[in-house]
Amino acid sequence: MPKSKVSLDVTKIENFIFDMSMCIKCKGCTWVDHIYMPGMKYSTRCPSATKYLFDSYGAYGKMRIGVALVEGRLDYSDELLKILYACTLCGACDVGCKRNLDLEIELTLEALRIKAVKDGKGPMPEHKKIAQKIAKQHNFFGSPHANRKKWLTKEIKPSPKADVLYFVGCSASYTHPEIARATAKILNASGTPFMLLPDEWCCGNTLYSVGMIDEAQKLAKRNIEAVKKTGAKTLLTSCAEGYRMWKVDYPKILNMSTDDLGFKVVHLTEYVDELVKKGTLKLAKRIDLRLTYHDPCSLSRLSEPWVPWKGERGLWGVVSPPLERRRGTNGIYQPPRDVLQSIPGVKLVEMPRMRENAFCCGAGRGTKEAFPDFASWAAEQRLVEAKEVSAEAIVSACPWCKDNFTKVASNNGGNLKVLDFSELVLSSIGSTGKRR
Amino acid sequence: MAISKEAYKVLESIVGSEYISADPTICEGYRSGPGGYESGLGYERVMTRIPGCVIMPRTTEETQKIVKACNRYKIPYVPYSTGFYGPRSHPHVSDALLIDLKRMDDFEIDDKHLYAVVGSGVIYSQLQEEAMKRGLYIVIGGGGSQVSAIANMLGDGWSPLSYRVGLPHRRILGTELILPDGELVRLGSLALQDDYSWSEGPGPDLRGLLRGFTGHRGFLGIVTKMAIKLLPFQPERLVPSGISPHTSLQLPVNRVRWINFTMPSKDAMRQAMVEMANTEIGAGITKVPIFWRVIARAKSKEEFWELWSKETEETIKNFHVLRVLLIGFTSEEQLEYEERVLMDIIAPLGGEARRTRPTDESWFKNADSAGMWLMCGGYVSVDYVIETLEHSIPHGENYAKLKRNYTPPLMPDYGDPGWFQSFELGHQGYSEFLVYWDPDENTDGVDQFYLETSKENIRKRFYTSLLGSHQPLYLTGPAYGPNYHKWLLKIKDEFDPQFICHPPVPLNHDVFVERAKWLHPQKDWKSPELPKLS
Repeated sequence: MPKSKVSLDVTKIENFIFDMSMCIKCKGCTWVDHIYMPGMKYSTRCPSATKYLFDSYGAYGKMRIGVALVEGRLDYSDELLKILYACTLCGACDVGCKRNLDLEIELTLEALRIKAVKDGKGPMPEHKKIAQKIAKQHNFFGSPHANRKKWLTKEIKPSPKADVLYFVGCSASYTHPEIARATAKILNASGTPFMLLPDEWCCGNTLYSVGMIDEAQKLAKRNIEAVKKTGAKTLLTSCAEGYRMWKVDYPKILNMSTDDLGFKVVHLTEYVDELVKKGTLKLAKRIDLRLTYHDPCSLSRLSEPWVPWKGERGLWGVVSPPLERRRGTNGIYQPPRDVLQSIPGVKLVEMPRMRENAFCCGAGRGTKEAFPDFASWAAEQRLVEAKEVSAEAIVSACPWCKDNFTKVASNNGGNLKVLDFSELVLSSIGSTGKRR
Repeated sequence: MAISKEAYKVLESIVGSEYISADPTICEGYRSGPGGYESGLGYERVMTRIPGCVIMPRTTEETQKIVKACNRYKIPYVPYSTGFYGPRSHPHVSDALLIDLKRMDDFEIDDKHLYAVVGSGVIYSQLQEEAMKRGLYIVIGGGGSQVSAIANMLGDGWSPLSYRVGLPHRRILGTELILPDGELVRLGSLALQDDYSWSEGPGPDLRGLLRGFTGHRGFLGIVTKMAIKLLPFQPERLVPSGISPHTSLQLPVNRVRWINFTMPSKDAMRQAMVEMANTEIGAGITKVPIFWRVIARAKSKEEFWELWSKETEETIKNFHVLRVLLIGFTSEEQLEYEERVLMDIIAPLGGEARRTRPTDESWFKNADSAGMWLMCGGYVSVDYVIETLEHSIPHGENYAKLKRNYTPPLMPDYGDPGWFQSFELGHQGYSEFLVYWDPDENTDGVDQFYLETSKENIRKRFYTSLLGSHQPLYLTGPAYGPNYHKWLLKIKDEFDPQFICHPPVPLNHDVFVERAKWLHPQKDWKSPELPKLS
């Protein structure tokens, strides 16, 4: 086999033909890691394949469809677009495949969406509306840009200049201000001075996720520049989707390393874990609650830092120079668990599907907007799982998870509480969040 | 869509519109290749077609109605459980109906009488976990944890743990089978009453017909439910640990222990297997294929090749690692006793115990056959033979010799003589020969080697388990029968007079050789007129 040039550039689907062609239908992408297989129930981790059942909705089907599309054997259709977009891009398939085969499934799925947009067929109409809102008001919801900092209360005092910059994100800014407030109060309580961006814009998660690469790149450049101007050393998020964008996808689409961003990207869960372990933050207030933790996909299996790579692929598919694959192994799994378990009175119980095997809530990456029923169905699956372990509350670390879970839980009239990590931590510090 | 509108409506009325599709994108998702078992080989390229329509029944009744409709409208159909078994489990003719059985996931377990009744969509790791929750276990075949338990029980279904518990044929109990014409047949005690617990029933036992030796890949109907015998395990749980890709089961070392031994020769390994069987100790045993060892050590494909390139003819020739599983099924004392006996067997043979991790990555619950594709991207077991231990060693050595003529395109393996082990407490010996290649290279040589192994078996009088559906029926039938092929075709005619259940199996490989010009120089046997296919 002559050597062929290859890279991880998602704007060129040609880079992923090898990955699409080497899928063996082991369906490791769909099943929970067999070592952790919990039995007949909760045995899958791919929402799309579980909901729509046809093989075509699993990564194995999508890989075959992708090859056919590239080779011109298949044309775009409503069904094809549904297969591409009724998918949470949650990364479960990617870690499953890399258990054995190391194929770049997540990147392939992203590249297929980018191709669909380039071909003038994607994204879905709902996504185009969101893109217009972002272009006009710089936020996902189309709410007035001027309201972005409305979540701030009198007691929260961001610093004009600080090492830590809290990037709030659209969801916590507009629809879940309790998360933004809790995060700010935790920072205050820990004695961490923090600043906000003078003019925060959407991170562009949905734009990138649905394949609108040009728009996402523009936002990435603008946002990175804005952060650099502040001189912040650390960018902190309380949103898992935003965290992934800053840490992984910005570097990915700008062809740079996470390390070269010029600042460190941390999620609140990591930050609090460090503060608690150092003794800077005391979680002393008792909260008697049996809870389960839902791993947000973008904080867990999708969060490993990005390093650009390009090289050659030769005989046996061997690449050179060596490629350090992102397999989800080093995602943020333990810090939130350690923090939650350190709260007096909290009993953390695990759901059958946890960490890299977690079942996505269904909300992220443009899914809920285009396929709301699918997103609700996925959340329902997860809530049933939480109830199965007799949890009184499900805790996540992303406003998009909370939003989806809350809506489904309230519609179903259940008594399962839906909480964000930040709220629980704040409650354990004390509701005002004043430094102790 | 070549299936008529009328037929489609009938099929749709059986399952509902949500569970049937003739959309080209949906059908493309069911393509056999380009990756997978036998990926990139001639068989996949020449013989497979995407389905014309996909249907997903939920119950036996629905499946039976679908099969009857196929007979009425003369629609060729293929049962499909997980699709892992490469091209042979995919349609071979255009416009076939693919009956995807994944919704057939009914599951019941009777822990008092030690069996589970599973539907076609239930996979091994699900079944194993449910069994283990109840202190029981099953053997997950080498095909992997992700395969349909029924399909694997009907096809292959063995592993190093088959040493103690026997081959899968013996663990198939009451079974529900839809014949190719739609007639429902209940086998075993299920034929008499609603009782899945026993394998034998009144009248002829169709299990042999269903399975043959290694299965017929769905050309004699559809098994919709099967009771599978479970076996008592030891009482302690095997605890999962680690984060992907480094996950494993922590073994309770007082009850479960893998021990690897370095042995001086293949013969010493064989003798150890015989002595273990004579003393009736051990729960599993296998010669460790060196590929597995390197795959397990490598963190990536690139590292595999780096490590592999350090091997030589000499290191491969002298690699004799025996892996033994001990389980204290009844007590900790049983394990201690068996370990002492094992050491007494190994020491005089010159073997040495090596440090072995107290974990299981590969056989209890995971059986990660998918890792076989890591090295090259193309993999197939060209033969697996169950005969005697004396037979299994020369069988592999003979293949290794033959393989040199086809390397490349086969992966350089420094003369590795395959994998052998003991089954059924030493009453049977097993030889499996796995080959690997780069699917992006010209793979004609792989096809030629595959065919040549069959001829070599005939020449050297080795038994082969890959007859009908994996090798030309008119090559193997007269040699092993002498009229095996005629019987098989008569049976097929009797049960499937319209020849619509996964055509053209069992003549599929004959058709393949006919179509594959690069195999014609090897064809020195007579074939009948073969069916014309679309």
